[in-house]
Amino acid sequence: MHGNRPYKLILKYLIIHWKCETAEVSKGALLEGQLVISIEALNSKHQANTLHCVTTIASAGSIYGGLVLKKFLKEIQSILHGFSAKLNWTSEEASYSQDTSGVTPFQMIFEVDEKPKTLMTDCLIIKNFLHKIIIVLPKIRFNFSVKVNGIFSMEIFEAENEPTLNLSNGIALVVNYQHYVSAPKFGTTELLCSRIHPVLGHPVVLFIPDDVAGMGLLGELILTPAAALCPCPKVFSNQLNRISSISIFLYGPLGLPLILPSQEQPTAAIFKDTSYFIDWKKYHLCVVPNLDLNLDGDLVLPDVSYQVESSEGDQSQNMDPQGQTLLLFLFVDFHSRFPVQQMELWGVQTLLTTHLSAIFMESHSAVQDSIQITVGQVLEHHHQAVKAHQKLQASLSVAVNSIMSIMTGSTSSSFRKICLQTLQATDTQEFRTKLHKSFHETTQHRFLHHCSCEVKQQLLPERDDAEQSTEDAHENSSLELLAGTSGQVGNKRLKGSSLHQGVEETRAFRSAGALSPSEAARRRAEATVSPLTPSRSRTGPGSGLEDALWLQEVSNLSEWLSPGPRP
Amino acid sequence: MAFAPSGPEASFFEVLDQHRASLLATLRRGGGEPAGGGTRLASSSEVLASIENIIQDVITSLARNEAPAFTIDNRSSWENIKFEDSVGLHMISHCTTRKIKSDSPKSVKNFALILKILSTIYKLVQSNTYATKRDIYYTDSQLFGNQTVVDNIINDISCMLKVPRRSLHILSTSKGLIAGNLRYIEEDGTKVNCTCATAVPVSSNIQGIRNLITDAKFLLIVEKDATFQRLLDDNFCNKMSPCIMVTGKGVPDLNTRLLVKKLWDTFHIPVFSLVDADPHGIEIMCIYKYGSMAMSFEAHNLTVPAIRWLGLLPSDIKRLNIPKSTLIPMTKRDQMKLDSILKRPYVTCQPFWRKEMEIMGDSKMKAEIQALTFLSSDYLSRVYLPNKLKFGGWI
Repeated sequence: MHGNRPYKLILKYLIIHWKCETAEVSKGALLEGQLVISIEALNSKHQANTLHCVTTIASAGSIYGGLVLKKFLKEIQSILHGFSAKLNWTSEEASYSQDTSGVTPFQMIFEVDEKPKTLMTDCLIIKNFLHKIIIVLPKIRFNFSVKVNGIFSMEIFEAENEPTLNLSNGIALVVNYQHYVSAPKFGTTELLCSRIHPVLGHPVVLFIPDDVAGMGLLGELILTPAAALCPCPKVFSNQLNRISSISIFLYGPLGLPLILPSQEQPTAAIFKDTSYFIDWKKYHLCVVPNLDLNLDGDLVLPDVSYQVESSEGDQSQNMDPQGQTLLLFLFVDFHSRFPVQQMELWGVQTLLTTHLSAIFMESHSAVQDSIQITVGQVLEHHHQAVKAHQKLQASLSVAVNSIMSIMTGSTSSSFRKICLQTLQATDTQEFRTKLHKSFHETTQHRFLHHCSCEVKQQLLPERDDAEQSTEDAHENSSLELLAGTSGQVGNKRLKGSSLHQGVEETRAFRSAGALSPSEAARRRAEATVSPLTPSRSRTGPGSGLEDALWLQEVSNLSEWLSPGPRP
Repeated sequence: MAFAPSGPEASFFEVLDQHRASLLATLRRGGGEPAGGGTRLASSSEVLASIENIIQDVITSLARNEAPAFTIDNRSSWENIKFEDSVGLHMISHCTTRKIKSDSPKSVKNFALILKILSTIYKLVQSNTYATKRDIYYTDSQLFGNQTVVDNIINDISCMLKVPRRSLHILSTSKGLIAGNLRYIEEDGTKVNCTCATAVPVSSNIQGIRNLITDAKFLLIVEKDATFQRLLDDNFCNKMSPCIMVTGKGVPDLNTRLLVKKLWDTFHIPVFSLVDADPHGIEIMCIYKYGSMAMSFEAHNLTVPAIRWLGLLPSDIKRLNIPKSTLIPMTKRDQMKLDSILKRPYVTCQPFWRKEMEIMGDSKMKAEIQALTFLSSDYLSRVYLPNKLKFGGWI
């Protein structure tokens, strides 16, 4: 068994157990709590060039009440069969103490021998795994520390106060772009929206192939895709944006990352086939698999990554070399009308991990349609945003050239002098540059003012009631679009909330004014979001409403594209 | 001055002369022509300075980090237009405006196009050259999209700067024709004599015309070119000499309207309109007489409220027993236009016109002037018009 795998299995199992324990109490609520993972490695006394690693996984706080230790140990050992490491549970007397709330902290320790390079790789993989968890379970905090021969390092993984999009079933997607792409190279002033704006697709039922259906699952697998461009295209740079890469993230029930089989296995073929999920040619994108993923970074690594190569017809000027990343999240959830047992969930996780490709292939057509529509929506928004931006740039260019023509052609020296002085330019070249910059800044300011990403939407003076009521109607329809349609799922026998219903619940939750005063106050106080690392955080509202407003803003971009009224 | 003396005897024009005297008396009572409002002729330096002021305002806004915007009068809004019997439809002094913003998705392109056309005008004025609206459109047809965009922006600029289009060195293409007892000299010195057998195109520089000379007893505005040509063929101008006739070939262009206005202002001769007995014809007549909504800001330079409706009157149809087979049923669009004209403010002070329109509306039939040819091929020029002119058959 590979060194990092036990950690992932143990963490997954703990989270499943945790969720099942809390399901009856707060169904749909996000899991909260803290886990501490520490690895202490010292040179092995028995093997050369080997480190003896002692890993401790412990809870900090009240999350594992009800954990029956012996049962847990037995189950863990069955999951980790073949794991040759020494696995200890701290003794009952030593491991926990009953606090006044009656909850029980827990701690488990296991020891393995590993090569230093393997340990380093495993640490990077574990960190990425933790990062992947917190972007859908943002209220879980991981303290991950490594001490190798006395040299200590620690990293905290959390996203509690970051803006999220509430999905359902206790998961929420963190929408801070900096988890997914690094900051653009042309300066932070150019990037004025730090969020991604996922579009949820229609859920589809996944059929299980007959040869793996013998598990006897009493429920259904539902795939819900979500797609977004990253960074936010609307207030991106002055340059045109192209899609330069595509990242796919796979999640199973409860927001647990699905571990893909290695690239060599045949079942990974569907991910090697770039057109399996989406017909990229339809969007004039030439996509190739990207196998060069850097584990050592601050970004959450995708499960599957593609590079987009420039197509022949892509000869536009000012194409941004960095480009945007299309993020595609595939959430596979399990729904049953019966109470879901822990082991059943664990079985679903295992099933998905080992037979994901087969399951997708069994429902290929439905999967492809759902993903294609979702991606199509996002790319269409992008396309509209690019066109609107082009239109704006073209208009500003005309304005600047016209002013320059008058200014440079004027025989009135006083007029020319006043023009130069007003913009504090020394010559006409500088004047042109400043003129263009000024126009750009004033129009960008208006776009930012309109953008619901960072600033709460405000009524603008020139809007009349009719326009506002029209926008309200659009907002409602956008919310419905965002929420998907409940009729799309083939089988209606869903006990719990589906992903799309979760968004509606969020909306209902909002409209019922169920915010706590402190949360409402924090949300009102939010002006901009500036988290740079997962550990730094600010209050962020669950953004179902904001994303619907953003979708409305993007649809407003169609104004740019349609003929304007006669002056 | 001597023109070919081929017209009727002097007594034929008695009623016309009385009518003219009445018009002059009205003018004297009204204190002469109303003071010109709206636009006024501006010198080149004034126009250049106005444009430079606009540019300075734009740059000042940008320096303050404010998005610049143009404030444009709502030319085509009824709330900004009032009717005066002596002027027609014209813009009120404190009218509502709209902003053309540079930071609004809806208007940034218009904002840029206004600047573009301002820069074109600036160059034209500076170089003392002229261009038509069509020329301007073709300087960048892809950018402008269509001619209407250019036309509207030019009108907006004219309204914004409060100068006529001519002062912006933008000419409108003339399509009108004129014939009859009239001579003048163009700005470039060309001598024009409209007594030729074929009509003369209306000049594209009406403001530059000088030395207008005529003996005409009346000016006849003809709606359609077909009717105009028919009258030319029938030698109407000589038979009814001295007279002038003009046609705008349908909805008149600016220069044709300017010429009619100039002839009225210069000579104060009776002006009559000969239009089809249909809502479209009536509307064209109203444009000459009272002006249009789109050009209401220039009404003082364009309207001739003294125009009288000579024919074809709806009541003439019954009076002359024009065969019903020559009549055309009114369409829904005709009815809507007729209803719209009846609601206009100027109709209230024209009870006879209203009555004629009601006759048309009740019969639900319309007639072209050509319907008279069913009585005889030259009925129009030989019988109908001479009788109308001799016996005061106008309203």
